[in-house]
Amino acid sequence: MGFLISQSLVNGIILGTLYLLMSIGFTLVFGIMRVVNFAHGEFYMLGAFAAFFMVTLFQLPYVVALGLSFGGAIFLGAVIERIVFRPFRGDELSGMIASIGLAMILQNLALIAFSPDPMAMPSLASGAFRFGFLIVPKSRLLALGASAGILSLFYLFLMYTRTGRALRALVQDQEIAAAYGVRIELMYPLGFGLGVGLAAIAGAMMAPLFGVSPFIGETPLLKAFIVVILGGLGSIPGAVLASLLLGLIESFTSTFVSASAADIVVFALVVVVLLIRPSGLLGQEDA
Amino acid sequence: MKKYMTAILLIVAIFTTVPLAAQETLKIGALVTISGAGASWGQNMLRAAEMAAEDVNSKGGLKVGDTAYKVEIIPYDDGYKSNEAVTAANRLVFEDKVKYIVGTVGSAPILAIQPITEKNGVITLTLGFTSKALMPEKPFTFRPNLTTGEISQPQIDWIVKSQGLKTVGALFPNDETGQQIAKDVAKAYKKAGAVMTTEFFGRDRVDFIPLLTKLLAAGVDAIELDGNSPVTAGQIVQQARDVGFEGIIIRTGGPATQDIINVAGKAAAEGLFVHSGIDLAIPGVAAYQARYEKTYNAKMNGFSPYFFDGVNMLFKAMQIAGTVEDSAAVRDALAEIKDYPGVLGTLNWTGKEKYGIAHQIDAPFYVARVKDGEEVIVARCNVNVCK
Repeated sequence: MGFLISQSLVNGIILGTLYLLMSIGFTLVFGIMRVVNFAHGEFYMLGAFAAFFMVTLFQLPYVVALGLSFGGAIFLGAVIERIVFRPFRGDELSGMIASIGLAMILQNLALIAFSPDPMAMPSLASGAFRFGFLIVPKSRLLALGASAGILSLFYLFLMYTRTGRALRALVQDQEIAAAYGVRIELMYPLGFGLGVGLAAIAGAMMAPLFGVSPFIGETPLLKAFIVVILGGLGSIPGAVLASLLLGLIESFTSTFVSASAADIVVFALVVVVLLIRPSGLLGQEDA
Repeated sequence: MKKYMTAILLIVAIFTTVPLAAQETLKIGALVTISGAGASWGQNMLRAAEMAAEDVNSKGGLKVGDTAYKVEIIPYDDGYKSNEAVTAANRLVFEDKVKYIVGTVGSAPILAIQPITEKNGVITLTLGFTSKALMPEKPFTFRPNLTTGEISQPQIDWIVKSQGLKTVGALFPNDETGQQIAKDVAKAYKKAGAVMTTEFFGRDRVDFIPLLTKLLAAGVDAIELDGNSPVTAGQIVQQARDVGFEGIIIRTGGPATQDIINVAGKAAAEGLFVHSGIDLAIPGVAAYQARYEKTYNAKMNGFSPYFFDGVNMLFKAMQIAGTVEDSAAVRDALAEIKDYPGVLGTLNWTGKEKYGIAHQIDAPFYVARVKDGEEVIVARCNVNVCK
C-alpha cells in the first residue's frame, strides 16, 4: 500500500507538470486577449509535428528542434493574431468562434498534409530510475525537468522583464496599461504568439511520450479547459495549482478506484468549483 | 470536305458513345473512420475498397450480366462515433442511393446503422468486433475479417501454455468494443488456465501510468492489449516499458503491429506477441502489401487485405447473381461462395453456430512475435488450434 500511495504521488506530480505546460499558453492568451483559444490544441499538434520533422527528417538535435518550434510558433501566432483575431478584439464571442474555425482548418490541413497515421517520434530516454521501490520513467523525468525549466524561464520573463511587466499589466487592465504607455499594437501579437509558442513547445516536448498524429491536440485542449476553469481564467498561479490538483486526482483515482472514476471526480470538481467559486480557485472576480 | 468531316465526326461519335452507353456506375459507400483514434483502420479499409475498384475499372469495369459497371467508392468519415455514422448512413442510403457499404470500423457505429441498412436491404461489410453485429435477423451484414471471437481461444491457449502465464492484466477502452472483447478474452484465459483482470478507461485517454502502476503492484505476468486502437496500444506498450514492466505484452486481436511500433518505438515493442493475419510467404498478400505501400506511400495495416478480399467477393457475388440492383440476390450469392481464392489464402464463411448465421469470414491466421520492428511468425492457427 505504501508503494502505491507514494508511486501515485510521484505519477500525479509528473502528470500535473505536463498538464501545466499544456495549459499555460491557453490561460495566458485568455488573460491578455480575452480570447478562449479553441485552436490551442492544434498549435500543440503543429509543435509536435515541427519537432518530429526536424528531428527525424533533418536530424537536428532535439534541443534545437524545441527552440525552432518555439520561435516559429511565436511568429506564426503573431501573424495569426494580426490576420484572424485583431478584428475581434474586445469581442469575446466572435473571437472564440474564429478560434474554433481556425482549429478545424489547422487540423484538416494537418490531416491532408501528414495523413492520419501516427508517426514514431524517437524516445529521448527509455527505462526507469528506481529510488528504493519508487519507479520514475526516465523519459518523463526528462519531460518534467524540461517543463519545469521552461516554466521557470517563462515566470522570470513575466516577473522581471519590461515586456513581461507590460504583458501582466495588460492582463490586469488594458485601458490603464495603454494609458501608462504599454504599446498594445506590439503586445497583443506578442502575447498571442507566446501563448501559441508555449502550446507548440508543449507539443514538441510531449511528442516522444504520446506520439505524433493530427489528432493529438484534443487532449491538451480538454486538460487546458479543466485547468483554467479550476484555477481561474487568466490566473497563472491558479493554473499551477489546478494542474497539480488535476494530475494528482487522475493518478490517485485511477490507481485506487478506476480510470472512469477519475474522469467523474475531475468533472465533479469542475462543477463544484463553478458553483462555489465561478471565477476559479485563484481567479479574480471580474476575470 | 465539310460534308466528309461531318461524316467522320458522326462515325466517331457513334463508336465512342456505344460502349459508354453500356457502361454504368456502381456506387459503393465507404463508411469508415478517417479521423480520430481508429483512423488507421478506416483508412486501410477505404484504400482496400479503392484498390479493388481500381482493379475492375482498369479492366473496363465490373461485368455483371451484359453491363460493365464503373465502380465508384463514396467515402464518409464517422469519427468512430455512432451519431456521425447514422448521419452518413442516411446520406449514403437515401441521397447517394447505394446498395453496398464498406464499414463501419467500430462496433457501436455498426449497431447504430443496422436499423437503416437492414431495413433498406443495404449490404454492409463491417469490421466491428461485436458479436451482436451478426445475427439471423440482420441478414445483410457480413464480416470479412476475423474477430476476437474466432482467434482468441486458440492463440491464448498457445501463449498461456508456451509462456507459462498465470496472471494477466488487461487495459481496455470502456465502450461496446472494449467490453465485448474483455468478456471474450477473460473467458478464453480462464479456459486456458490463467486469470485475467481488466481495467477500463475512456477511449481518449493518453496517460496510462496510474493504471500500469496498479498492474505492476499486482505483479501480473503479462499485459493484454486486445481491442485498443493501434495508437492507444502503442502508448500503453511504451508507458509499460517506461515504468519498468518486464513481463510479456500480448495483443491477441486486431492487426496493429506497425502502428504500435510507430508509436512505442522499436525498442519498447521488442518481444511483443501479436496476432497476425498475414503470412508473407503467401505470394498474394505479399504482392498486395507491396502494392499498397507503393500506391499510398504508407505502411499497410493487417485489416486491409481482408477488405480487399471482402470487396472482391462482393463483386463476384454480383456477377454470380447477375444483378447489382437486387441486393437480396447478391447477399444470397455472397453467402454461398466457398473456397474463395483471396490474397490471404482460401476463404470461407463460418459462424452458423456462434452467431446463428454464416456471415463471418474463416481465414488462416498466425501468432507472431516482434523482432527488430518486424513480425516473425511463431505459430500457425486455424479457428481450433495454434501450432
